[in-house]
Amino acid sequence: MRPKGVPPQKAGPTRQDAEGVLVEAAQNDPAKFDALYEMHFERVYAFVASRVRDRASSEDVTSEVFHKALANLPSYEWRGVPFVAWLLRIAANAIVDHAKRAARESPAPDDPPEPANDPVVRASEMRAIEHRAQLFRLVGQLPALQKQVVHERFVEQRSIKEIAQRLGKTEGAVKQLQLRAVQNLRAQMEGSHA
Amino acid sequence: MPKRPLALQLDEVVQAMLVSLQPRPEKAPDRQLASLVRVARELRDLPREEFRAALKSDLQRRASMSESTAAAKVGSREEQARAVHYMRPGLKSITPYIIVRGAAQFIEFLKTSFEATERIRVPAPDGSIMHAEVAIGNGAIEVSDGSEAYPAAPQAIHLYVDDPDAAYARTLQGGATSFYAPTDDHPSGDRWGAVKDPFGNHWYIAKPRGWTPGPEGLQSVQPYLHLREAHKMIPFLEAAFGAEDLGTHKSPEGLVLHATIRIGNATLEIDEARGENQPMPCHLHIYVPDTDAVYAQALRAGATSIDAPRNAPYGDRAAGVKDAWGNSWFIATYLGNK
Repeated sequence: MRPKGVPPQKAGPTRQDAEGVLVEAAQNDPAKFDALYEMHFERVYAFVASRVRDRASSEDVTSEVFHKALANLPSYEWRGVPFVAWLLRIAANAIVDHAKRAARESPAPDDPPEPANDPVVRASEMRAIEHRAQLFRLVGQLPALQKQVVHERFVEQRSIKEIAQRLGKTEGAVKQLQLRAVQNLRAQMEGSHA
Repeated sequence: MPKRPLALQLDEVVQAMLVSLQPRPEKAPDRQLASLVRVARELRDLPREEFRAALKSDLQRRASMSESTAAAKVGSREEQARAVHYMRPGLKSITPYIIVRGAAQFIEFLKTSFEATERIRVPAPDGSIMHAEVAIGNGAIEVSDGSEAYPAAPQAIHLYVDDPDAAYARTLQGGATSFYAPTDDHPSGDRWGAVKDPFGNHWYIAKPRGWTPGPEGLQSVQPYLHLREAHKMIPFLEAAFGAEDLGTHKSPEGLVLHATIRIGNATLEIDEARGENQPMPCHLHIYVPDTDAVYAQALRAGATSIDAPRNAPYGDRAAGVKDAWGNSWFIATYLGNK
């Protein structure tokens, strides 16, 4: 029986409380940083990829963000500020540093500055990041063949012909798999925003 | 005119998107197609699965390096003392024990190639080296000329150094043969070169490129075991030595492409033997809090006994077992200066 006066929604931990527990566990035992990585990888990557120009830089910066986060975890204080906000602040600074380094290494004075050089993460940007991170996670849940086609087509940028040869399928079948995958993702994204 | 199938329409747009062309304008933009294109556009930034897994593995490796530091911070003074005391000063939980013909020359090779320092040398009556201990970076290697019972057993070592290119060049001057010069294209993401020394050992000479070592620095010396049916080694190490799998990458067929395994405060790496990386059954020296318990545990996990636990004259409680792959594990607990 529930004690009087305690509303049911207070009985369990909130999402932020749960995250606070994970952060504290990782602060005491760095091996538990895994759980935080799993929770936030897609968000950090989506944010970084939206601000830097190429995949190699996105990977370098994302790697730097998580390594810095692990190293600085003891200094993170849980004051109701979501952990992801802390991570994205590290990311925003890392992106600025990356852009400065890139500019020093190959100065191109005619190029317009990248939209990246803003150490602030705006609320509208945060919504776009959440949306994209959700999409990335959903790709992992696609049926195996659809998932493979998505990775080969969009990540490795292989041609339909090449993918067809690798999978032993016709080009028409690969285009159908691509369509099914994108339709599935759209349906699930719409479902998740319903 | 009949409408083209949606799969073709979508692919045309995707193809244009991937080569950075503007998609051909549609006469009457199809609402259904437009919403699919929005999804497709975002998929261009989809992260590589291999990158996600490799970064996780790097973070796990780094976390394990700082784990002992964190544990020491929260532990009591007494716990800290106990944690340190089962290991012989200067050694970690795992140390490769390399038996070579010509141990003295091998030690010289380590000094000139990797700036190693010799810490201990115990000669045998015939002038050969019964036992030696050589420090490299923050790690160590034990060396012996061996005996009839312990013939030469070269092994593979993953070595982190400050300047892999210079170390690689020095190994060649010392008579090593190159597998390949240091490159940034190694799948680990590290700058990585590989040689075989004149004594038959493989050295993977590396420096981290995409990750930063923890405050205690890199683990300079890590044994690297190439095994047949490597996937079976992981449960054996877990059961025998309380090891922890810090991250395994497998091929679609289930072969272990790389795994990092932690025992105590050190790690070793394993993979499925292939190409020039064939099995090299070797000797490993591990420090554990309780030799007798770990020895019994290892036998239960399928190891066979080499030596039952005994108090060795050099001040360790020591035992030995052999695994199903032919590797010997010298299990030890440092008894201190009692």
